[in-house]
Amino acid sequence: MALRELSSLEKYLGLKKPNKYSTQGDKKVPVLQNNNGPPLVGLVTIACHLVKEAKRPELLGDSAEGRAVVQQWLEHRVTKLDGCTKEDTKTILKDLNLYLQDKVFLAGNQFTLADAFIYFGIHPLIVEMPIQEKEQYVNVTRWFDHIQHHPGLRHHLPPLVVLRNRIYTSRHH
Amino acid sequence: MTKETVDGAMEEQQAQSKKGLKKQQKEVEKAAKKAEKQAKLAAEQQSTEEDDFAKDRYGVLAMVQSQQKLDRTLVRVKDLTPEKADQLIWMRARVHTSRAKGKQCFLVLRQQQFNVQALVAVGDRASKQMVKFAANITKESIVDVEAAVRRVEQKIESCSQQDVELHIERIFVISQAEPRLPLQLEDAVRPDGEGEEEGRATVNQDTKLDNRVIDLRTTTSQAIFRLQSGVCQLFRDTLTQKGFVEIQTPKIISAASEGGANVFTVSYFKTSAYLAQSPQLYKQMCICADFDKVFCVGPVFRAEDSNTHRHLTEFVGLDIEMAFNYHYHEVIESITDTMVQIFKGLRDNFQTEIQTVNKQFPSEPFKFLEPTLRLEYTEALAMLHEAGVEMGDEEDLSTPNEKLLGRLVKEKYDTDFYVLDKYPLAVRPFYTMPDPNNPKYSNSYDMFMRGEEILSGAQRVHDAQLLTERAIHHQIDLEKIKAYIDSFRYGAPPHGGGGIGLERVCMLYLGLHNIRQTSMFPRDPKRLTP
Repeated sequence: MALRELSSLEKYLGLKKPNKYSTQGDKKVPVLQNNNGPPLVGLVTIACHLVKEAKRPELLGDSAEGRAVVQQWLEHRVTKLDGCTKEDTKTILKDLNLYLQDKVFLAGNQFTLADAFIYFGIHPLIVEMPIQEKEQYVNVTRWFDHIQHHPGLRHHLPPLVVLRNRIYTSRHH
Repeated sequence: MTKETVDGAMEEQQAQSKKGLKKQQKEVEKAAKKAEKQAKLAAEQQSTEEDDFAKDRYGVLAMVQSQQKLDRTLVRVKDLTPEKADQLIWMRARVHTSRAKGKQCFLVLRQQQFNVQALVAVGDRASKQMVKFAANITKESIVDVEAAVRRVEQKIESCSQQDVELHIERIFVISQAEPRLPLQLEDAVRPDGEGEEEGRATVNQDTKLDNRVIDLRTTTSQAIFRLQSGVCQLFRDTLTQKGFVEIQTPKIISAASEGGANVFTVSYFKTSAYLAQSPQLYKQMCICADFDKVFCVGPVFRAEDSNTHRHLTEFVGLDIEMAFNYHYHEVIESITDTMVQIFKGLRDNFQTEIQTVNKQFPSEPFKFLEPTLRLEYTEALAMLHEAGVEMGDEEDLSTPNEKLLGRLVKEKYDTDFYVLDKYPLAVRPFYTMPDPNNPKYSNSYDMFMRGEEILSGAQRVHDAQLLTERAIHHQIDLEKIKAYIDSFRYGAPPHGGGGIGLERVCMLYLGLHNIRQTSMFPRDPKRLTP
């Protein structure tokens, strides 16, 4: 899964030559062999490296604070979201929903790596979610629909249908 | 005796006498207390007998065995209005609550959905003993009361009769209720949310159903079943006006009408028979017998081992069948118009009942369009597809998809009632007429209320040859349905119809969530009593 994300990221960044990745450990942590030095280990590490390679530093944040927030979200993705239990998902989604109440992007006012990787990570959860639940997490769904339409981002993931109008308006039934 | 033993005996004696002394003392105390109590009782009794000038204005009457014909009018609680102020009236009701407060006793007297506050106060009409008697009448007891109707300045919010109260002059118990009720009526009408919030008791469904007689006394139950009676009434009246004839069909039959899986078998003398799963076959035979337009109201038995919120093993079916001229849409129009008349009748004449039910079970009012919305199956598939649901062309709708479709239709057209037309032929019974232009589809339809199916219907095959072909295709034993096929051999008009479940229609109209709430004495795989 992580390897497909990295390959999608490469396509998004417009990197001409796709890299060859290997994995290590039973968690299948991606590894990138580097000609210049020690191998890069870890989804976030490799992603940041690719961004630098493609000379798109704004994807990591536009200010010191922005960069810190992006790193926080990337860490959140790898530590909390990946491999979480069903009960954790509910808390994670609830918190994300609250966070996105007044924001268009996760960090700052533009698309960053944080948006990309949280989108990749949360996709399997949203795909399984019944419409009623999607309407409950209204901000997550709105942000998700926005990000999945971001040009050039969505390569390995199928698009999700998000209804324009709410169909579960009252709390009954 | 040795000294030891003597000593021992002495000790024993001493111990005994100590014990004995104690015992004696206790006995004396006990006797003293008893005497005190008796004296008190005697004093009370004396005072009771002494001061009770109202002795013949209250009490428990002998069982009414039709000993006499009293020419007395009993006023209904719902007629206790300020117009009757200062009149002395008799009435019979249940004691809903009784609460003594010093020299007064407040009672709430209840009659079906209506209740009124009543008061017994120590004065020149009522004695202390009478007030005490009133306060001790057990809940749910039936009483005859003679009282003066008095206006009140402040509205009594907790009663249905808010502008008057009764000042009791005579009160007699006609039928006493046992002191421990299996459930409390206030608990049975409490909305679930409120119960949780305030930490008060609510009654769970099984308890209610086990003690149905008491549960049916609640205002909510009274309202639900009055509304149900209204549905039956409106069904009959509307169809009779349209020229339909009511018929009665047999429920003990020789062959399973809808397929052998969900049918009850009964022993029938030396063989067995089945309980009818629907009046289908007989409705159609009536059409072939020139009754033209028929309907029937009767029990339907389905041996489905489903423990869901919407299945019963026995329910009341309201079935329609009619001959039509050229197109089965004539039938759809007739049925939808009947349904709309029922909805209008309920909306216009049963608002009190609807509001009463909503107090305990809040829900949105039922919405419908005129003329009724009719969607084709292919349109429905497209709507579901747009919402991200993948379904095959000839696939039947699953329950979750039905519900989702209901939501999408509500959002798009703002209606809780619609018809889905042209179902795939593969998922319909063998007697359904195929579509003339597309063999994958059929002239059949379902109707939905709040996203749940309430009616399944179709144009029927009225040609004996085609019917035989369809039966063979469905691998049905022709011997078992010989009489049915024969009825189409001697001239049969084109016809169609459908059937609805009374309990389901009531449940969905009121926005309730379990069909046992709208069945008086429900039957399901786990329940055979009361």
